[in-house]
Amino acid sequence: MGFAFFFFLSYLIVSMFIVMRKKLNIVENTFVFLLILFVNINVSWIIFEELDLLTVTEDAMKYVGFLLNRSMILPMIIVVYLNLVNRSLKMFKKVLITIISISTVIIFSGISILFDLITYVNWNFIYDAIYFGALHLLAFYAQKLFRKFTFHEVNYS
Amino acid sequence: MILWDTLDLNELSILIILFVGFTIVGLLPKRLPRSITILSLLWGSAGAMFFDFTIGGGLIDFYTVNDSPRYELFDLFYYILFAPFGYLFVYYYDKFNIKKIKFVWYVIAWSLAGLAVNWLFTLLGIIHFKNGYILPYSFPVFLVIQTITGLYYELIKSKNLFK
Repeated sequence: MGFAFFFFLSYLIVSMFIVMRKKLNIVENTFVFLLILFVNINVSWIIFEELDLLTVTEDAMKYVGFLLNRSMILPMIIVVYLNLVNRSLKMFKKVLITIISISTVIIFSGISILFDLITYVNWNFIYDAIYFGALHLLAFYAQKLFRKFTFHEVNYS
Repeated sequence: MILWDTLDLNELSILIILFVGFTIVGLLPKRLPRSITILSLLWGSAGAMFFDFTIGGGLIDFYTVNDSPRYELFDLFYYILFAPFGYLFVYYYDKFNIKKIKFVWYVIAWSLAGLAVNWLFTLLGIIHFKNGYILPYSFPVFLVIQTITGLYYELIKSKNLFK
């Protein structure tokens, strides 16, 4: 069930990204995806395997569900988030989108626990919120920096 | 997380290859836009890390990087090592104007080069295969990742983003 659910979520988030009106170009979207993939894989490995703050399932199919969440769903949610938040919206709406995005990722963590994909040992939802919030911040500023650094060579029209 | 288990041949080799790799990147005449340069470097590292943490650790544990299964600082350096390879793949892809049948030969050549580097890494003690994994299994991995890299670069070029 866990595998099927997270496969469906992967399908859903990728489909949503494909059909949405994008504010970032393909290079920026790829940059953000790879950066978050790079950071999240490392941090996940350290908190799961090195610090034993969480444990991951040993069931093969559930483990694939965990991998989908770690390497596909979370980076894609942040890419979708950046495309939404980069629209010319009022600050209130930007904050609201940020809260919704972080909450979505936390809910997916909850579902991972529900389906026995992961187990919290010395971890809780507050730590999740701090970590996912930091990832959102990192992606937001990294994308701004990337655009600033490469602005003159890219045609945004 | 530890810095290293024992500081010996594999750690020294990683530092040397890192230095040589980034020196080559720095010395080559500028050809790619800055955004593609950054992206190709990140692509190389993230791609290697994605495969390593998917089939080289956790439940599917086909190899160990460096001296121990624990996460070492030099593991991170090992993943950064792939950044220049990502850059060089795209750099020469662009320089040689790779298209159609050349694409297949280009990917095969890079996959064979990847296999040779993989073999060198086992000799230097940077990676250790286990649980039935053998060197030839890396060939399909290189074929897949390099085909995706080439096709993705074609997709980016087709968007006409650069002035």
